[in-house]
Parts: sequence; C-alpha cells; structure tokens
Amino acid sequence: MSQPSLVNQVIKRPWLKRWLMPLSNWYTDAAGYRKLGLRADDLIPEESETVLLALKRLPPKEAYDRVFRMRRAFQCSLSHQLLPKNEHTKPEEDYPYLSPIIKEIEAELAEREDLEAMVVKRPARKRPPSMEGLAMTRDVHVAAQTIESE
Amino acid sequence: MLSRSAIGRQAQRALRKQCQQPANRRGLAAPASGSFQYETGTAAGVKFASRDMPGPTTTLALVSRAGTRYEPLPGLTVGLKGFAFKGTERRSALRIQRESELLGSELTSSHSRENLMIGAKFLRDDLPYFVELLAEVASQTRYAPHVYHEEVDAIIKMQQKKFLANVKEMAFNSAHGLAFHRGLGVPLNPSSSLPLSKYLDADTIAEFAASAYAKPSFAVVANGAEHAELSKWVNEFFGDVRSQPASDLKGEQSKYFGGEERIAHGSGNAMVLAFPGSSSFTGGFYKPEISVLAALLGGESTIKWSPGFSLLSQAGAKHPGAKIETKSNIYSDAGLLTVTITGPAKAVGGAAATVVETLQKIASGVSTEEFQKAKALAKFKELENGQNTSAAIELTGAGLVHGDKAYQIDEVAKAVDGVNEDAVKQAAKTILEHKASVSTVGDLFMLPYAQDLGLKV
Repeated sequence: MSQPSLVNQVIKRPWLKRWLMPLSNWYTDAAGYRKLGLRADDLIPEESETVLLALKRLPPKEAYDRVFRMRRAFQCSLSHQLLPKNEHTKPEEDYPYLSPIIKEIEAELAEREDLEAMVVKRPARKRPPSMEGLAMTRDVHVAAQTIESE
Repeated sequence: MLSRSAIGRQAQRALRKQCQQPANRRGLAAPASGSFQYETGTAAGVKFASRDMPGPTTTLALVSRAGTRYEPLPGLTVGLKGFAFKGTERRSALRIQRESELLGSELTSSHSRENLMIGAKFLRDDLPYFVELLAEVASQTRYAPHVYHEEVDAIIKMQQKKFLANVKEMAFNSAHGLAFHRGLGVPLNPSSSLPLSKYLDADTIAEFAASAYAKPSFAVVANGAEHAELSKWVNEFFGDVRSQPASDLKGEQSKYFGGEERIAHGSGNAMVLAFPGSSSFTGGFYKPEISVLAALLGGESTIKWSPGFSLLSQAGAKHPGAKIETKSNIYSDAGLLTVTITGPAKAVGGAAATVVETLQKIASGVSTEEFQKAKALAKFKELENGQNTSAAIELTGAGLVHGDKAYQIDEVAKAVDGVNEDAVKQAAKTILEHKASVSTVGDLFMLPYAQDLGLKV
C-alpha cells in the first residue's frame, strides 16, 4: 500500500535533493496534516488486507498513539479548528512507523508469488541410470538457487 | 513346565536353552558390526556425533539441553520449539519450507523433559544444506513479536487444549509433578490454566534461545552420515553460534518427594502409580533391576491375541477394559517407574489394587522362568530403543551435552544382563517401603485413594 514515489532517485542525486528539499518541506506543511497532529503514515488508507495486517503487527504503544492522534485530528476537523502551534507534529516526529511493516508484508507476499510461479527445470544432460534418483534432487536444488539469485 | 500341545517342540527347546544357560548365549548386546556406536568429535567448539549406516537417507538433529526441566519460565521450551524453522535473518519461513520440500526432506521439532530436538531427514547428498539450515536456526532465527502472535501462540493454545482433554497425559504429568516438584516435575506441555501470556513472549523466548543454542548447551547428531564430512560442515557453518550461554541452564539434582493428587475430569479415567526409578546409565543412580522390574510388571502384550507373560497383563485380564502400561522413565539424574492404568472407572480402580498386590508378590518372590522372560524383554526393549533412530539421536545428543559421553547401548545391555532375582525382589520391596506418587484423574467418586490401595503417600 506504499505510494509510488521518486524519493530514492532524488536522494541519490545530492544536487537535486538540495534543490527539492525546500519545495518538499513547503508541500508537506501545506498538506496540513501536521497541523492536525497527524503523521504521514496515518494517512495511508486502511482498507486493504496488507495494511490491516500491518496495523495488527504494530507494537502496542505505537498502536495506542496512532488511535490517539486520529481521534484528536477528528475532533479538530469536526470543530473546524487547528491544534495550537506547540502541538503540531514536528518534522522529526513525522517518521514512517507503519510503512516499513507494510513493505515487509509486501515483500512476503511477493516472495510467495515468486515461489508459487517457480518452474523447476531439469537439465537435459544424460546420466547413468543408477544416479538418476540422487541426481534429480541435486538439480532441483540448483534450480532453486538460480531462481533465488534472479 | 509347558504342555506339548500349547507350544511347539522347537520353541520349547529354545525356551529351555534360554532359561538354562543365559551366560553362554551370544548376547545381542555385542553386535559384531559395532553399528550401534556413534563416533564423536568436536568441530568449531560444537560437540557432534555420527554413525554411518548404509542407506540413501540421513537423519540429522540438534539436541539442546532446553527441555521443560531447564526452562526458567513456564512454556519457554514449547515456545522455542514453535520458533524452529521460522524466519531467520537470511530467509523466510516460507522459503525454508519450500526449499526443503524441493530437496525432498522432512523437518521435525520435538521436546522431552530434558531435551529439545530440532532436526531433519533428507537424502544423503544434501547434508551441507541441512547442516547450514540447523546452524541458521540456532544462530539467526528472528524472534519477531508478530511471528509469535500469528503462528506460535495459536499452536501453543491448541496444545494446551489437547493436553487438557487427555486424562492419561494429565495423570502422567501430575505424577511427575508429585514426584519431583520442580525441574523434572514441570509438565511437558503447559496446562491451559497457566497464565502463559505473563511469561511467554518473543523477547523471553529470544533470551532463552541465547542460552539453549549456545555451543556448550547442544550437540549435533547424525545418523547415516560420514564422520569426516559432518565434521567438515559443522566446522564451516556452526562458527557463528554463540560460544557462551546467556545464562546457565544448570538444573539442580532431582529429589524424590511423592504424594497423591486427585483431579476430577469428565472424559475418561486414568491412574498413574509412580515410584522412584533409575537414572540413565551415565547418571549416578543407575539401577538396571528397575527396567527388569518394569518388564516383569508389564501390562501390554508383546504378541497378538494373548495377554502375554507379564504379571500385570495377566492380572489385568480380570478387569476387562482396563489398559495397563508399565514404563521405567529414565532421566539424566533420576528416574520414575510408572504404572499407568486407563479405562472405565471401576476397572481402573480394580486394576490399581491388583498392581499393588502384584508388587507385594514380587517383593516376596519371583519365579525363575518369569524372571528370565522379563530380563530378555528388558534387554530387547533397551536395544530396540537404541536402534530406533530418533530415540538413539536424543540419547546420544543428551549424553554428549550432559557428560561428554555418547550413550553406549552395549554397556546398558550388559548391565541388564547382570541383574539377578534378588535385586528385583529387593527393588520391589524398597519401592513399597518408600512414598509413592499417585495421581488420579477422572471420576473421583469411583476411583480409589492411594491409602485404600495399600500404598504409602
């Protein structure tokens, strides 16, 4: 459920990062969620199996804080108010607490997909018939490793 | 002695021969091939043993001294067992599973009161892969909280329920609890009334793993692998394993207490009469006469369609429905001789009284023939157990971990050979003089108290 982004490409190029950083800060601030005391990861839509599982895997303290932030933001939204300046989310508090877990789950799912789609190939080489049984399993092992490295 | 119609001439001759001259017989205990013997060694600080049996498959196991006896908090052994072959730093649980499936193998994990075994059975050529896998499980398993909550915890809860429904297991564990209190008395599976969540989570299990999977606490045992090859791979892969345990897993010397416990239960009846037994051969309290006494008491027939020779199976025939089993449970420094009776409440009560009567009879005298049969059976069981791969692996691993000495089955069989009738009589007498551990589970209205049976508790 992680959004597509060019962050990695930008960070690789320091000149571009230096150039885009003020723009990015301005944009994040203008998005307004920090003024409601939220973090960027609170905005990830919950309506998917992956995110629901990730939410279950949150440490208890993180899960509690998340609910607190959301309730506070909801109240602010209902009363058409912003939080006082000192309660705004500070940039250093706005770290990704949920997306690493989501990425982990996505990697697990992708790995499962890969393994499901794996084709075990046997080499065409001819072997003496007595070695047939053992040789076959060795080749399967090798095939598994090649897939691993791909 | 035996009527001709009842038994063939050859069998009569064989029996006579066995009874008359046991000393001349070439004992099973002295196999010419020496295939029972494990070769032992140390590589990268890890003790290992192997025996090269001809055949296309290998059984490999890591035997750790992390049984329920040594767990610092309840349930840790079961928790650690649940984490075996789960995700490691290098690969996920799914990948481990799929890779081992591709190679055609079986991954196992089990525990006993003293040991935790994680192992694999596979084709001989794949030895390096599985040595690496065991080393990875021992040193790089990730004890992640979500794995515990999503996978391990559910299985533990199921095991608790299964344990709660099994009267025999319950009585057996309760008898151990009565006999040894803590240590060996800790139940093999945590019961469901235990507040496990208080003690068990990923962090405590990780801490326990740091002690259980440290070099001095485990041994690697292989059945059907070349010694030199195993040595090479253990040396290569087990280098990263912790060299010192985080905290020592030393258990105290077990002490026998005894007593009685009665637990009401709705589904079935079980009674366990337990008496102090024999420690393992390497332990300080080895008494071979106890295993002969267990075979003499018996209860289960070794042949079909007949109650067999053992005293309890013959006596038990008077109480239809009651199933009697006698076992000499051997641990590293203590033992427990248990007679387990299950069945309908009335039959169990009657059979329990018979057990005590039989013991009293043995204390006053045993017939030579029965004694010889019991001795032969005890020896057979011992050797058969030693030949059985999984039991032999556990015994060998435990022997290495506890005392730098592999379990030498030949010596045990020799010790059983040396038992005489007086020793068995004396053993029965001592048992009756000391306190017994009696555990009763089931319909308590019908089941008798230990005192009614004539046992001291």
